[in-house]
Order: sequence, then structure tokens, then C-alpha cells
Amino acid sequence: MTATLRDPGTSTRTIGAPRLLAGLDRYATLDYAAHTATHGLLPSTDRPRLIALLDAIALTGRGGAGFPFAAKLRATPDGATVIVNGSESEPASCKDRTLLTRAPHLVLDGAVAVASAVRARHVTVAVHDATAAAAVQRAIAERAEIGYVRVERTPGGFVAGEARALHRGLHGGPARPPGRRAHLTRQGTLLSNVETFAQLAVALRLGPHRFRDTGPHAEPGTALLTLSGAVARPGVVEVPIGTPLGIVLDAAGAVGPRAVVLGGYHGAWRLPRPDLPLAPSTGLGAGVVAVVDERTCALGELARVTAWLAAQSAGQCGPCRFGLPALARDVASLLHGGDPALAVHHARVVDGRGACHHPDGAARFVTSGLGLLDDEIQRHRLGGCGRPVLGQLAVSA
Amino acid sequence: MSTLEIDWTRCDGHGLCASLLPGRIARDEWGFPVLTSTPVPDAEVVDVRRAVALCPALALRLERR
Repeated sequence: MTATLRDPGTSTRTIGAPRLLAGLDRYATLDYAAHTATHGLLPSTDRPRLIALLDAIALTGRGGAGFPFAAKLRATPDGATVIVNGSESEPASCKDRTLLTRAPHLVLDGAVAVASAVRARHVTVAVHDATAAAAVQRAIAERAEIGYVRVERTPGGFVAGEARALHRGLHGGPARPPGRRAHLTRQGTLLSNVETFAQLAVALRLGPHRFRDTGPHAEPGTALLTLSGAVARPGVVEVPIGTPLGIVLDAAGAVGPRAVVLGGYHGAWRLPRPDLPLAPSTGLGAGVVAVVDERTCALGELARVTAWLAAQSAGQCGPCRFGLPALARDVASLLHGGDPALAVHHARVVDGRGACHHPDGAARFVTSGLGLLDDEIQRHRLGGCGRPVLGQLAVSA
Repeated sequence: MSTLEIDWTRCDGHGLCASLLPGRIARDEWGFPVLTSTPVPDAEVVDVRRAVALCPALALRLERR
């Protein structure tokens, strides 16, 4: 009923042919022998060939921001540092931990391919989760030729996983976003999400034509989803990009979904339209599909996550530090018949006023929720919905 | 043309900028600046520079585009 995602790898499934998750139906973890038997050896590459491949498959970052990877690689100087961002601080996401824990060699393949293309001096896999970190460490130990890859444990926290905050933390600073604009890539750090590197490792083997066999023309390939909330079968699912939401919800055993949170807690509340295509261009973000059904008080779920988002503020920017708690109070007041205009106002006040996109993301989450839950808000103004808050949307402690 | 920017990690909401540039900067309910217009035409650069220089937290910046 309520999915908690503390145990990555409990369930992985695929709709269509598996790529990133290939072999995981047979192996708990693909060691190097199982990895090469499943995927084959990693072809060698160089910068021009890798850029051509990335252009052909239009690979975008899978951590939420969706930046084109080819553009990132073009802007990266030779001798750069490669960082695999495995912080995965979205509580409703466990796809990156699943990859790191169960298919670590695929992620490492992507990282070392990029490293060879930019003649990187350092490769770091930044991981918060202890189990995932240990799995990557074991995988590196299996391959003497990539012994230079380092695993770094990172602090938890939603904002600490933001690219520039992570970069600062790895360099001995506070794991908080810097106040000035910083172009990580031009400064010699190529940082991307775990799944992005794994997709790249798959693409190097398949080549552009076979990679484009699945998914829409403009956004080919597959994506990893983390399904949670009011579903019978939560877990990580690999789907062709563009798969309709209805197919994914049916496969997960969602009965009578009321709403889905798509992309993560910086994403948006959406109606569970069965024909909604799941793709980066439709807000798939980091792949979170969290389902809320009729058994829980949806407004209470919104209030709970908003309070969590406020608590996740790094507290260094005034509008976020004061504005998000105000926003959380506004949303909580709706449960007792409060006026939604207050929350709408504070969402607008915080939007775009911070060193990172945390306030903007929180504003988007709340605004989209308010838009979708208008009838709930009215019901609470008339005395309440009579349903408990079940915590279908996971939040971390 | 230049643009006015705030380093939010430095800003403490003293409000000096809003009193020096009332047409450009308002304050929210906690006292933090709200930029009402960020592009700064060359004719106003001198006034804006003065506000930038007087920011006690060194949080206000004028960036050349």
C-alpha cells in the first residue's frame, strides 16, 4: 500500500526489452563476468566519436534537469574531472541506487568512456547510500585497469545533491550551492547523473541505430522510473521513453489512482491520464512516478511533502529559509479550511529567489498540487474529507 | 546593458538597496529584496553602482552582459 524505498533492488521490471536492467532478472548483482556476459565488452571511444554518438541519440541528463549530454561534453576541457552524481536525494527515487548496487559496472563503463574522451585526470563516483558505495567499490576492485576511480560518500539532504553543492562538498567546502553562478563544465568538471552514464554505456555497445530502435524519434531510448505510493508493485521499471502512463500504472497495479507526482518533489502533480507519455519533454525529470489514490487525504499528502521541502532548505538564502516554512504553513492551513490564496502568494514570492532551484521547484510542486486538488480544498473548507493521511508520498527522516 | 543580481547566500535583508533604488527594488515581508526590474540602462549605472558599493553584505552585483 505505502511504498517505502529504503531497500533498493527489491523489485526491478521492464516494459519492452531491458537495456540498463538486462541480466537483473537472473543476478542480484552483475559482477564483472556477468556484466560482460550480459552486455559485452566496452568499445573504446574518443571525443569526436562520443560527441557524434550523443548527438545521434539525443541523450539528456537523467537527474532531473535534462541537459543535453553532447553539449556538456563539448564544453568540457581536456583534463577535466568526471563526477558521477549518485546522491539521489529524492525520497521517491531509488533508480540510481539500484543501478549502483546491482549493475555498477554499467555505470563505471559510462564514466570511464567519458573519462577517456576528455582525458580526465580524476573520476569520482559520489554516493550517499552505504550499500551502493560498497557495491561500486567492489566493482572497481574487480577491474585493475580502472583502479583510479574513486568512490566518495556524500552527506544526505535534498539540496546537497544539487550539482554545484555536490561539487563544493567534494572539494572540502560546505555541501551547499554557491551564491554566484558557477559553470562547472567550463571550469573542468563534467558532472552527470548515474543513469546518464549507464545509458551512455549501453549506447556505446548498441550504436546509434540500434539505440534509436525504441522510444520516440526526438527522444529515443529507455528511461528508468521509480514507482511508489498507491501501487501494488512498487520498484524500478525500465520503459521505452514515451510509454503511456496508463500502461505503467496498470503494470504497477495501481487501482483508482487520483493523482501522480511526476518527476520528483521538484516536479508536478498531474492527473493520471492514461495516455500521458512518460518522457523528458513531458516532465519525467528524475523518473519519479508516485501515485496517490482515493484512500488517502491528498491535501494532507501535499502538506506533508511541502513541510519536508521546507525542512530541506539549506537555510542560506532568506526567501527560501523564511518563505518555504511560510508556504508549508499555508498548505497545512488548507486542511482546516484555510484560504489557498496565501499559498499561491508565497509560492510566487519564493520562485526564482535563491542560489539554487530549490525554492522554484518547491513552488512548482505546491502550485501544481493546488491546481489539481481544488475540490479537496473546497471539501476541507466545508469540514474535511474524512480520510486519513496515509503517507503515500514517501519523505525521508 | 547590465543586469542587477543578488547573491542570495550573502543577502541578510538589510534593505539599504531598496531605499537607494526604490524604483527597482522592493522588499518582501521578511525584508529581502524583490527585484522589480533587472536590466540597467547605461544612464542609470552610476546610481546602481552606488547601491552595489553600499550593500553591507556585498550581496548586490551589477553584471555586464
